[in-house]
Parts: sequence; structure tokens; C-alpha cells
Amino acid sequence: MNELRAGLADIFEVEPSAITSETALTDLGWDSLAMVSTIALFDELFGKPINIDKLKNCETVADLESMAEEA
Amino acid sequence: MTETAANDMGLSRLSGARIAGVVACVPERAVGNDDLIARFGDQVAQVTRMTGVQSRHIARQDETTADLCSIAATTLLDRMAVDRASIDVVIFASQTPDHRLPATACLLQARLGLGTHVAAFDINLGCSAYPYALWLGTMMIAGGSARRVLLLVGDTISKIINPDDRATAMLFGDCGTATLLDAEEGAQATFVLGTDGSGGRNLIVPTGAFRRDFQRHPANTNPDDTLFMEGGEIFNFTLAIVPSLVDRLVQGSGLAIEDFDLFLFHQANAFMIKHLAKKAKLALEKVPLNIDRFGNTSSATIPLLLATDCRDALTNGRSAMVAMLGFGVGYSWGGCATRVGPLDVAELVTA
Repeated sequence: MNELRAGLADIFEVEPSAITSETALTDLGWDSLAMVSTIALFDELFGKPINIDKLKNCETVADLESMAEEA
Repeated sequence: MTETAANDMGLSRLSGARIAGVVACVPERAVGNDDLIARFGDQVAQVTRMTGVQSRHIARQDETTADLCSIAATTLLDRMAVDRASIDVVIFASQTPDHRLPATACLLQARLGLGTHVAAFDINLGCSAYPYALWLGTMMIAGGSARRVLLLVGDTISKIINPDDRATAMLFGDCGTATLLDAEEGAQATFVLGTDGSGGRNLIVPTGAFRRDFQRHPANTNPDDTLFMEGGEIFNFTLAIVPSLVDRLVQGSGLAIEDFDLFLFHQANAFMIKHLAKKAKLALEKVPLNIDRFGNTSSATIPLLLATDCRDALTNGRSAMVAMLGFGVGYSWGGCATRVGPLDVAELVTA
């Protein structure tokens, strides 16, 4: 999970400490470009495709983390 | 045809494929000439004397050529008990596709439950479509690229008819067909194909594509008329397909990945290409990117790379082992591995 947070920090260009489970994605600048970067991150970390509809419904970092657990 | 002598026409003789079965599908609704009298009166009899058309089948508003071809194909494949996985190529030949893009053949691949190894594409021809489709399919089989080709040929011209134009409204009917071409040694076919585009304006639907009178038909921004892209889904598709496309192409070429000098990826998106190159462990200097200067030019990205960034590597006596990889709308993908160069011409010009 640390890798996921580190990757998200890279994507959103914030300090890793700014990424917690409760962090709202909209506060980080969650848009279609960030989503594509997140798909690449999941591919890199887990080598599996992710469900785009689910990804779109993610609101917090915790939501992404639970998708990562499924991956 | 104007002044072209018959012996100027392209002739080819091919062998190795036979027509194994044909099914045609017409819409349920038949429109007889009686139904047209209200609109055209006495002209119906007059026109009929000339055209001979007494009745025609007309598609419902929500029924397209693809629907008719799909029913024809399902019937054909079921009657012949054809294993769907044995079909190698699907060609949809029509002037009335479902959308401007993607190619209708791609949608029909999925509808008909055919394998994803299928090569599927459209050809935009009307009256001459069938001989062209047979020629293409026969060539593919004769050349060893395919054993079994499904030709889906048809039109729903009723959708582009002006109901008040007596020259066309009483003439056309709708139909979709399916033809199966099978490899068979010794089967022969002779083709004559020709073109004279100077007559293009005499049988034409002027708008609906991209050359138009912008005074009368301004470009529109209606979302149904403009390109929609679900970027995340497309990226997911690329991640799923492109790495194995690269592997299969390299393996199929009998070469090692290090033997390739250039990997020309369709310039979809720089981030995506870099990710794919990293994933496939390709040296970045072998993966040229010119999307920064030209954007994603769709079907043109790979030849544009050849004419620009790869020019020095492919001209003045130089050549390179090249892998070309196209993927996207359809979804459809294709790869080609070949030695390219020295090219006689590689040049970028401005219109």
C-alpha cells in the first residue's frame, strides 16, 4: 500500500505525507488525466486492468486502496 | 466509364479460394409501387416501365445494414455449422456503415462472437463492392494470410434517399448479405477491377463526411456528431493488448527483440507510449515520439514517424529493422515487422 501512496503522491505532485486513507481525491485534483495515470500505476504495481466504472466512483484514497486489494 | 478501353482495366487471376455459401437478408417491410402512388401519382407507372421495380424491402428506422448483415451471417454460419473461431478475416463492404467510426466490421466481429484474432475492416464501395470484396478475400487466402474469410456486403440506401426524388426514391431497396470464402486448392477466379474517380460527383451524398459547403452546412458541435472518447477504457484496452501484440510480432518474425532498431507505436498519447515501452522493456531511443509536434494523427501516425523522425535512419543507403504497432478505435490492432529502407523518398511537406 505504501507503493500505491507513493505513486499517488507522484501523480498529484504532493508530499507523500499528504496522502492518507481519508484524503478526498477531489482535493488532490482528481480528473481524467489523474485517472489515466492511476490506471498506469495499478498496471505497474499489480499488472492487472482495473474497472473504470469503479475507478470513477472512487472518492477517497481508501477507495483506491480497496480497489488495489482486489487487484 | 468514359474512354477507358476494356484492355486498360486491371485483370488478375487468382486461385485457392471458393465461395462456400451465401445468405442474403432483406428487411421485413416490403413497399410496393401502390404505396408510392400517393406521393408520385402517374409517375410511378412511368418510372416503373423504365426501372422495372415493382416492390422493394425497406429497413426500419432503427435497422441498419449491419443488422441485416448480422442476421445473414448468423444464418450462414449456423446452416453451415461453421466454428466461429475458424474465421480469420471479416470484411464489411458498404456505403451505409453504422457510424463514421469505428469500422462496422469491428462491431460485427463482437456481435457475431468471432475470435479477437480476426482481422476486421470496412471497404467503402457500393455497386462494385462485391467483386472487390471477393478479390480481397481471395487474395488473402491465396497469399496464405487466411483460410476462411467472411464477407458482409450490403446497403440500406433508403436511409440516404430524399423521399421526394423520383429518380432514386422508387429505385432502391435494402439488403445485407454474408458470403463465406474457404480455402480450396485449384479453385480459380478471374477479376477485373477499375476506377474512374472523375465521375464521383454523379452519384454522391455530399455531406455526412468532411468535404462540404460550410456556408450551407456549418460544422456542428452536437455531441452525437463529434468524437467521444472514454480515455480510461481506451488506456485499459491498450495495456491489455499492446504488450502481447509486441511479443507476438517479435516472436512471429523469428528475431530477438534486440534485433529491432525501431518500434513505431501509434502515437496515441506520450504517457501511454512511454508506459508501454517501459513495460515491454524497450530502449527508449528505439521508440520515437513525435506526438509533441503533431498530436495524435490517427491512422497517419506511423507513416508520419517514417517520414520525419525515422527519416535519417531509413534514407541515404541506410535501413532498419522496424516493428510498427497500430491500436485503437474498433477496438482494432495490427502490427508489422519488416526491414525498411533505404527509402527512395521520406519527406514531410506542408499543404
